[in-house]
Amino acid sequence: MSDNYLVLDKVTKRFAALKAVGGDDGLSFSIRKGSFLGLVGPNGAGKSTTFNLISGVLKPTSGRILLEGVELTQTATASISGLGLGRTFQTPRVFGSLSVLENVLVGADNVGEGLRAALSGRWRKADAALAARAMELLERVGLAERAGHRVSDLSGGELRMLEVARQLIREPRVFLLDEPTAGVDPMLQKKLGSLLVELHKAGTTLIVVEHNLHFLFEIADTVVVLQSGQLLAEGTPDEIRSNKKVIAAYLGAEHAA
Amino acid sequence: MNIWHFFLSVALYGSLFSVLTLALNFQYARGGMINFGTVAYFAAGAYAYAIITQEPPSGLDQYMFGFGAPWWLGVAGAGAAAFAFAVVTGGPTLRLRGEYLALTTFAFAEVFHSLLLNERRIGNGSVGLPNVSRPDFGSLAAYDTLIYTGAAFLLMVATILLFRRILRSPYGRALDAVRDDEVAAKAIGKDAARLRFQVFVLSAIPMGIAGALYAMVTTLVAPNLFTAEVTFFVWIALVLGGERTILGAVLGTVALVAFQELVRAVPFESVRSAQIAASIEEVVTGLLFIIVLRWQPWEKLARKRTAKCQTTISSSTKSPSASLL
Repeated sequence: MSDNYLVLDKVTKRFAALKAVGGDDGLSFSIRKGSFLGLVGPNGAGKSTTFNLISGVLKPTSGRILLEGVELTQTATASISGLGLGRTFQTPRVFGSLSVLENVLVGADNVGEGLRAALSGRWRKADAALAARAMELLERVGLAERAGHRVSDLSGGELRMLEVARQLIREPRVFLLDEPTAGVDPMLQKKLGSLLVELHKAGTTLIVVEHNLHFLFEIADTVVVLQSGQLLAEGTPDEIRSNKKVIAAYLGAEHAA
Repeated sequence: MNIWHFFLSVALYGSLFSVLTLALNFQYARGGMINFGTVAYFAAGAYAYAIITQEPPSGLDQYMFGFGAPWWLGVAGAGAAAFAFAVVTGGPTLRLRGEYLALTTFAFAEVFHSLLLNERRIGNGSVGLPNVSRPDFGSLAAYDTLIYTGAAFLLMVATILLFRRILRSPYGRALDAVRDDEVAAKAIGKDAARLRFQVFVLSAIPMGIAGALYAMVTTLVAPNLFTAEVTFFVWIALVLGGERTILGAVLGTVALVAFQELVRAVPFESVRSAQIAASIEEVVTGLLFIIVLRWQPWEKLARKRTAKCQTTISSSTKSPSASLL
């Protein structure tokens, strides 16, 4: 069953008349547990929409998405995260009124988020432990020195790393990253790359949408190519690199010959 | 009216309405919910107190219920009534955003007002319920205004402590996250609907208790005391004081109450001059509102304080829970 860890089964999503994902037959592919999947395709291929469907931000028009047999399409958005599925967004979404450290801290499921615990004050010990963990994670993504800052002080690339740290405190089993290297400088990209490899080694299933194919093909073990919301190709990075259909989709038909 | 009376009324009504402003601050500035029906929860508390404590109907009374219960039961009932009204109105509406929620809560308050006005069996319709019963202070009866002022102040302090305790916990942090970006908050498992609903119904309780206290002070509950004007008053006070800070909410309310009491304290020779003064009061309130919106003096003050606290904390300690100011 580990071959069918995360399954997309004939998923379609329409925005009015526009078929954003799935075309006529629906989009289907499955992901092995612990794999490192790169999701690529030209702009408008439906990569981010696919992420939004998996993470429950959008509900599909038809089809099912299952994580270890649990139907995500029938699960409330906030509960999907509780099943161990974490994600980042194409445009970083952080909490502007919280500090950098609080942005990571708020990612954790905290006993103090219950009204009764908040009133009784029985959250301080757990919160302090989480804060220490959040500091470790900030260290890991290179933001430790910014812990007390407002998020408005951070650059675009740093916001991406902050989003990663905010998910890591939840220890996701499946981690979806939407264009993690966009706007991130080469030094930070390297750091991010090794962080993702570490997570992969530790058994996290990774799905990464990325336009930086050099970055992605170095570290991913499987690549899925989407075009116009449909599956164009699936294989190892080497297979994809030499796939004529993929080259045509990315660079134009004249390059594929 | 001497100066002592003036200060006493500012303290009494300032504290009482601060409870409403604080509740609104909790709902709006932290919870991200625009409640334009504030007065309804206040009115629900006032009517509940009057009905629970009054004698059963007799003679010409048109109201149906009177339980003759002691005052403390009335106060508890007032909190419960506002809570129940919040559950009923919040349940179906809180998924609405921004102005849609504002319109719906406003409509709920208007419906409630209309019900009180036209349904005589609740509270004598437009006449209202006069002679609302008050606690018996015995030999201290001469100091009743002072006692009510103290009670209003205590209620305000209790409300501040309650909200502060909640907002400074991880609960407040999750609430901020939901308000800042609901999609991102859901992606880290925050149940936005639960948090919003809890904030909405919880903040209604002090509003209801304030309503009970108001009924005791005025000894009358009538529909014309609970119009949308109260809602707007509280909103203006909140904007005056600068949203998001507890001190701002209180300062804004006290300033607005003081201004109104000041105008009322001016002795008038004729009815005509009093009418003119009333109009001028409204014009000046509007002007003050515009001036404060333009320069936001208190908000700046409050921000400065927050910023100062945060720098001290982030530089002095590694315990981040303390930085949740």
